[in-house]
Amino acid sequence: MSQAKLTVESLSLSYSRGDPPALRDVTLDIEENSLMAFIGPSGCGKSTFLRCLNRMNDFVRGVEITGRVLLDGRDVYAPDVDVTSLRRRVGMVFQRPNPFPFSIRENVAYGPKLLGERDRGRLGEIVERSLRNSGLWEEVKDRLDAQASSLSGGQQQRLCIARAIAVEPEVLLMDEPTSALDPMATARIEELARELKKIYTVVIVTHNMQQAARVSDHTAFFLMGELVEHGPTTKIFTTPQDKRTEDYITGRFG
Amino acid sequence: MPGREEGRRNLSEAAPRRVITAVAMSGILVMVFILLFLMKEGMPILRDASITELAAGRLWYPVSSPPLFGMMPLIAGSMAVTLVSSVLAIPFGVALALFLTEICPKRISGFFKITLEILGFLPSVVLGFIGMTVIAPYLQVRLELLSGLNLMNASMLLGVMILPTVATLSEESLHAVPQSQRDASYALGATRCETMFKVVLPGASRGIAQAAILGVMRSLGETMVVLMASGGAALLPESVFDPVRPLTSAVAAEMGETSVGSGHYHALFFMGCILLLFTLVLNVLVIKIESRREAN
Repeated sequence: MSQAKLTVESLSLSYSRGDPPALRDVTLDIEENSLMAFIGPSGCGKSTFLRCLNRMNDFVRGVEITGRVLLDGRDVYAPDVDVTSLRRRVGMVFQRPNPFPFSIRENVAYGPKLLGERDRGRLGEIVERSLRNSGLWEEVKDRLDAQASSLSGGQQQRLCIARAIAVEPEVLLMDEPTSALDPMATARIEELARELKKIYTVVIVTHNMQQAARVSDHTAFFLMGELVEHGPTTKIFTTPQDKRTEDYITGRFG
Repeated sequence: MPGREEGRRNLSEAAPRRVITAVAMSGILVMVFILLFLMKEGMPILRDASITELAAGRLWYPVSSPPLFGMMPLIAGSMAVTLVSSVLAIPFGVALALFLTEICPKRISGFFKITLEILGFLPSVVLGFIGMTVIAPYLQVRLELLSGLNLMNASMLLGVMILPTVATLSEESLHAVPQSQRDASYALGATRCETMFKVVLPGASRGIAQAAILGVMRSLGETMVVLMASGGAALLPESVFDPVRPLTSAVAAEMGETSVGSGHYHALFFMGCILLLFTLVLNVLVIKIESRREAN
């Protein structure tokens, strides 16, 4: 077993004081250069958990988080951690494609520019490499200055992936990245996710069990804020240890 | 009898449509009539003076003999108050809008928005009154001016007047920038400030431009404030503390004293045409921006 990139230790989260916790005592390791899928029914906490990993929940007013999230052994919730540099190391792709209202080129260059890259030649290289790695280059290389909104939904999502990997993160979080896409576009994103795990550590939240089975090395099953079971994907889908996991993957509920 | 039933339905379908069309057409008709009237009453001035004399003449003595119809000081006055008030109000309004959408907590922003709306309802005569009784004496004493009724005074009041327009409309377009784009920016490691200036503001830029132009238009067309606070001297302003006489205040002040059909009367209507032309240009600009926004 290779080294854990992310280690989560008894993480709990509640959205406001007194509310029942949205996440309860979750402990989980995520291996480097692997693809982990979080599955579970709507409202089970899988997206909330994902957003803990790059501290996107910080924006929610009144949220309370306890426990630790270690990235390469360092707690991302430690007081001396710079959240912006954490988010550069842990990139994110969202449920719906959310390109900026800029050109394709400017979308990809946004992150590197934040990091202070001004050189046009260097930026051009980053844009090309990121678009190649997200499988979009051949489709857009002749119209990099076209508006991002002129792309199809699937292309927009791959542009968002290119934008996320342009800052060379170490971990890529994908929050139901195909839920707004048609089957063809979904297949391309899945194929891409499998490619990306060679370079990055990829975590994908999905409501689609077949997707988890198709793409992931490891699967974690969430239910009502609890991590019920996690392990190698083949094991979770063939010989689940917990009755609830079995009920969910066999379609008895969810 | 399906035929009769159908006929009744057709009638009930057609009648409202005709009524609405008629009402709409009469509205358009009134507008066209006003336009024609303005042209008909304004154009005859060209018999007394050439376009060059009107636009480039520096002397506005419409009742001397022979009368002099140089409108340049009035046009300059209008442009000056519009420019200075816009320079004062637009950055302020956009900053206020940014504060309301991006910085201040929701509960407080609601209170601010209501205050802004109330400010927008303020009758301009009240503003003019404040300009005469508060700002003018203050400017006069502090800056040792001959009169506190001047370009600066009127521009400050106009700025206050258009601020709610600019701020409210800018706020709407900032608000329309999807949260998901802010999230994308944060997820790339951008700070709040970077997100505000590099994603939200550019995303709302067209709406803000429109808000600014609408503010400029209101400023240009406003009459009461400039009539009361601008000083009323038909001179080319050399500093922001010189008195001016914008087109609107000239028309309002002089129309009552002219005899119908005189050169002066036609000259005032011609000023109306000039104002109309300015607002028309600004309107076209707004429509241009709108259609570009839709294209994206």
